[in-house]
Amino acid sequence: MRLENAWRYSMLGSLFVAVAVAIMLQTVRLQFSPQAKVILDGGSLFSGAWQVIDAPRGQIYDRWGNLLAGNHTVYEISVELRSVENPKSIAFILNGTLGLDYNQVLAAVSQQASDQMVNVTLVDNVPADKALLLQQYMADLRANPVPSQDGQENASLVGLVFRPHLQRSYPEKDLAANVLGFVSREGIGYFGVEGNYDDLLAGVPKLLWIPSDPNLVEELPEIPPGASLVLTIDREIQASVEHILDDAVEKNGAKGGSVVVMDPKTGEIYAMASSPRIDLNEFWRYPEVFPGSNPFNRAVSQSYEPGSVFKVLTMAAAIDSGQVKADTPFLDTGYFEVGGIIIRNWDSAAWGQQDMLGCMQHSLNVCLAWVGTEMGASVFYDYMTRFGFGHVTGVDLAGEADGRLKSPGDGDWYPADLGTNTFGQGVSVTPIQMLMAVSAIANRGQMVTPHIVRSLVDNGNQYDIQPQYAGMPISKETAEIMSEMLAISLENEGSEALVSGYRMAGKTGTAEIPGEKGYTREITNTSFIGWGPVDDPRFIVYVWLEQPTSSIWGSVVAAPVFKEVVERLVVLLNLPPDVVRFGLTHE
Amino acid sequence: MTKRARLIQAYRQTPWRQQTQTIGLFSAVVVFVTLVAGVYLNVTARAATFGREVQYMQAEKRELEQKIEDLETRLAYLSSSQEMESRARKLGFQPIMKNQIIYVVVPGYSDRQPAELAPLPQQGAHQFTALPPEFTMSLLDWVSDVIYQLSVQTGGLTP
Repeated sequence: MRLENAWRYSMLGSLFVAVAVAIMLQTVRLQFSPQAKVILDGGSLFSGAWQVIDAPRGQIYDRWGNLLAGNHTVYEISVELRSVENPKSIAFILNGTLGLDYNQVLAAVSQQASDQMVNVTLVDNVPADKALLLQQYMADLRANPVPSQDGQENASLVGLVFRPHLQRSYPEKDLAANVLGFVSREGIGYFGVEGNYDDLLAGVPKLLWIPSDPNLVEELPEIPPGASLVLTIDREIQASVEHILDDAVEKNGAKGGSVVVMDPKTGEIYAMASSPRIDLNEFWRYPEVFPGSNPFNRAVSQSYEPGSVFKVLTMAAAIDSGQVKADTPFLDTGYFEVGGIIIRNWDSAAWGQQDMLGCMQHSLNVCLAWVGTEMGASVFYDYMTRFGFGHVTGVDLAGEADGRLKSPGDGDWYPADLGTNTFGQGVSVTPIQMLMAVSAIANRGQMVTPHIVRSLVDNGNQYDIQPQYAGMPISKETAEIMSEMLAISLENEGSEALVSGYRMAGKTGTAEIPGEKGYTREITNTSFIGWGPVDDPRFIVYVWLEQPTSSIWGSVVAAPVFKEVVERLVVLLNLPPDVVRFGLTHE
Repeated sequence: MTKRARLIQAYRQTPWRQQTQTIGLFSAVVVFVTLVAGVYLNVTARAATFGREVQYMQAEKRELEQKIEDLETRLAYLSSSQEMESRARKLGFQPIMKNQIIYVVVPGYSDRQPAELAPLPQQGAHQFTALPPEFTMSLLDWVSDVIYQLSVQTGGLTP
C-alpha cells in the first residue's frame, strides 16, 4: 500500500463507519418515534384474529339410541369491506338467492371500511345448500368474469365471507316435540328437555386468539361439547301414541288432549303425547300454534279438575286407613249432604244397595263422598298430600305446574270441599301428577317419580339415572286390593277399555268444567287411567281429552283410546297375552 | 536461534503470511456465521411450515367435527320414524297386530337393552392418550424411567 493513498483509504473507511453509525442511529430513533407506535399498532391488526370456537350442543336420543335432536351446519355470511369489488352484484345475488332486501344489502356492503369497521355480517343461519350455491357463484364469476348489468364493471362476489357453525336440528320433526322443547337461534333452550337441561346440553363456546404467525401457533384448548342425553322415550311407542291421540282428538272434536305411558316400576316415561304439536325445526311458529295461554305440553303444564279418576285415590286412602273394605256395604239413596251441599251421582239416580266394588264400578259420587266423610278431612287430605298433590312431581321437564289441593286451614277451603274433592271436583291436578299418584297402586304401594332422562353422556362416560321413589302412601296389600277391585270393575262393566288377552285395571273419569255460573254438564274433560297386566304391571297409561264434542263421557271417549294405546303397547313392548305368558313362564 | 524466534523472523520476512492468516480467520468467522444463519433459517422455516400445517389441521379438525355432527343428523333424517314407516309401507309391510304374533321360548335370549352410547364411568377408567410418552416426558424423566425399569428388571426394586 502506498503511503500517499493511505489518507484516501482512511477517509473511505471513516465514511463507511459514519454511514453505518447513521443507519444505526436512525434505526434506534425510528424504534422510539411516535410513528413507530402507529406502525406497530397497524401491524398488530394483521398479526392474528379473534375467533369464536363453537362447542356443539349435546345430542338427545331416545332409549334405543335414535337421534331426536342433533346439530347441522348453517352459515353466517358477512362481507370484508376492503375486499369488495362490486357491491351491486353482491346485493343482487343475495336478493335473488336468499331473498334479502337489495337496498339494505347494498347499503351495508357499500360502507367505507375503517379500522373500527372491517367486516359486516349480512345474514346468519343460511342453510348449507344455499351457502354452497353462493360459493359456487363466487367461484364461477372469478373464473369466467361476466359484465354487470350496468356494464361498468365485472360482476363479482369477492368480499363475501362464509363462516360455518352448528344449529339445532330435529330429524323427527314434530315427534315428541312437547317433550323435547326447542332451542332458539341464540342457542337458548325452551320448554321440555331442552329447557330443563339447557345448562348441561349447551356447550360453552370460547373466544380464542389465532395468530397469523405460524411460529406462534399453540395447541388449542379442548372445547368439550355439551352433555348428550338418552331419554326414556321409545320412538316407536311415542309415534304410535301421538297418532292415536291425534285421531282421537279429531274424531271426538276435542279441544286438545294428552296421553302418557309410563313404566310404573321405574317411573320411566315411554311416551308423552300432547296436542297440538309443532315441527321443532320451525320453532318460530310457536306463538301461532300455541296462542294465548295454551301450554306447550299439557301433560305437565296444564292443571284441571280430574273428575272420577280421582276416586281411585280416595278409595285407596279409605281402604288403607281401615275405614272401609272392598265388601263394605253402602246404601245409595241418590244424594248425600256434606258441608251444606247435596252431592248427587253422575246420573242423579239412586243405586240402592252397593259395596265398595259397586261404588267404583258405577262411579258413584254419593258413595265416595260418604267414604270421604267417614275418613274425615285430616285423614283424607293427609293421604292426598302423600300421593303428591299440591306440589310438583319433579319430572325433569321444564314448565311443570303444581296444581292445587285446598285443605282445612286454607282461607278458601270449606267443609263441602271434602265431599266434592273425593270424586275429583274442586281439586286441580296435572296428568303427570295423576300418573305418579296412581303408580302407587300399580306398583304395590310404592310411588315412583316420573322421569324422562335415562342416561347422561358426558366426557366420554355414560351415567345411568337410577329410578327414584316418592314414598309409599299406601300399603302393598291396599294396592293389590285396589288393583283387583278396578280390574273386576272393568270386567263387570264390560268396559270399552278392556283388551282381549290382557287383564287390565283402570278407571274412567268425566269431569264437569267449572265456569262463571258454576259447573256445566255440557262441557267436560274425559279421562281414563289404567295399567296392566294386573299381576305384573309393565305400563300405566293416562288418557285425557279436553272438552270432546262427540260425547261427554270418559267411558265413551277416553276408554277406547286407552284400549287402542294398549293394543299397540303390547306389541311394541313384546308383551305376550296373559295365558301365553303364564304358559311360557311355567315351561 | 530458537525455533520460536525463527518462526517470528520468517513471518517478518514474508508479511503476506500475516495477511493470509487474518483473511483466513475472517473467512472462518464468516463461514461459521453463515452456517449458523443457514441452520437458523432452515430451522425457523421448517418450524413456520409445521406451524402453518398445525393451523390447517386445527381448522380441518373443527371442520370435520362439524361435518360429523352434520352427517349424524342427516343420517337421522334418513332413518327417522316417519321415513322408515313410509319406506316399510312402500315395501309392502304392515304394522303387526297383537293377535298375529306367536311367542316362543328362546333359551338364553336376553331382552333388547337400552342404548349405551359410551362406557360407564368404571369401564372408562383407562385413559387413552394419542401422544407417546417420548413427546411428553423430559430427557431427565426418560433417564430416570430407564434406570427405574432396569432396576426393576434386575431385581433391585420391586414395583
